[in-house]
Amino acid sequence: MKSKQYSVKIYEVNITDEVEFMEFFDNNYTLFKDHLIVIKGNFPSTIKTYLEKKKLSYLHNVSLPKGRNRKALEEELKAEHREIAVSAQMAQNEVERLSSRLHNNLTVLDEMIRSGREIDIQGDLLLLNRVNSGATIKTTGNLIITKVVEGSIRCLGNFMMLTASPKANIVFNGVEVDNNLLENRLNRVELKNNEIIITPVLKKEINWAL
Amino acid sequence: MGIVIAVISGKGGVGKTTATANLGLGIALNDKKCVVVDFDIGQRNLDMILGLENRVVYDIVQVMDGEANLKQALIKSKVNDNLHFLAASQTKDKSVLESTKVEKLIAELKESFDFVILDAPAGIESGYEHTIEFADAAIIIVNPEVSSIRDADRAIGILDSKSAKVKAGEDVAKYLIINRIVADMVESGEMLKSDDILEILNIKLLGKVPEDKGVIDASNQGKPVILDKKSIAGQAYKRITGRLCGEKVDMKDIEVSDAGLFKRLTGMFR
Repeated sequence: MKSKQYSVKIYEVNITDEVEFMEFFDNNYTLFKDHLIVIKGNFPSTIKTYLEKKKLSYLHNVSLPKGRNRKALEEELKAEHREIAVSAQMAQNEVERLSSRLHNNLTVLDEMIRSGREIDIQGDLLLLNRVNSGATIKTTGNLIITKVVEGSIRCLGNFMMLTASPKANIVFNGVEVDNNLLENRLNRVELKNNEIIITPVLKKEINWAL
Repeated sequence: MGIVIAVISGKGGVGKTTATANLGLGIALNDKKCVVVDFDIGQRNLDMILGLENRVVYDIVQVMDGEANLKQALIKSKVNDNLHFLAASQTKDKSVLESTKVEKLIAELKESFDFVILDAPAGIESGYEHTIEFADAAIIIVNPEVSSIRDADRAIGILDSKSAKVKAGEDVAKYLIINRIVADMVESGEMLKSDDILEILNIKLLGKVPEDKGVIDASNQGKPVILDKKSIAGQAYKRITGRLCGEKVDMKDIEVSDAGLFKRLTGMFR
């Protein structure tokens, strides 16, 4: 689509006396030659030929967007400011709520969880390494694991962030999660109204060689 | 002062004892004094694979209990003077091992040998824990299959928590040998690739040993396969022991079969 935007001056007029109109236009031609003439109501053919002869642009019976006066504009701007302040406050509250939840007993681990190990965390866990087959991770809070999981996960938090892990056994708030749904590079798994919702955070890597 | 290396696997039957025998002999062939110790109390096999079963008079339990001294119990290999062997007891079981006695024995062995190789029992029970407790390093033997990898992973986990060195705040060096690789099966995707195994276990690769029918016969005859110059497994153990003795030996890519290469070439001309 190709479009351009213009600001035009518009002269809107109701014609009652054709002769008067033409006289007025003859006198003020220089003033009106760059205007768009909008005729309201009755539009006699004499006027039409007159306008065409004078090469004036015109429209007949169109509804124009009404300009607002300064006071109305100021009012509107104020309201907008108020709205922005309110939504900023709401966003701030949301961040605080989430971070207080996150910082509440956050454990950060960067070690391979080998087979046979059982990690039991009260609170949230950020794990920056693999969970091997035969290992178990349990958290009462949220869980983020940035590498592949081949062991078991028992998470009771509000959300999990997991990479695609086709060999993992994942139980989230007592419900087993189907690994096939964790198909993206990073997935957000959360509980909303007793429903487990999985949303991609990072999409699958594209293999350009194929 | 020698270095103590435990040969472990977690899972049984992956070739731990065969590897121990070949590593011991390979090190001896590199002119280093080496002793291999069978820690698989109650199920000793290493004596047979080394061809020394009829020479066992005293075993490790008798040495630890003071019924015999170390000199009496050590058996010199028929093949190489640098290689010595200490047998496990076949009559007792794993519960006879005690930490203090094991520590004393290993300290004594360290005095007179460059390399002390301990053949761990399969599994992760007390016998295994005693084998790794005083080791400076561990060689983990795996087969390219998931069950072996998982058991090895578990064994490494225990090594990292129960070893005396780790408890003292040091690291136990860990090296991986992937045993019984069949190139065709790796190529067709039936067998795990070594890169995948290394990613799971996250330890250094010491070497890869290809599947070789000659190994069984060599074990039955009591002549470790490293003595067979034509054997591909023997050559692999040669490279591995060379690396252990400080030589720089490149990794040979045994995961590409010659047949596969041939197929590819003929495919090109078709």
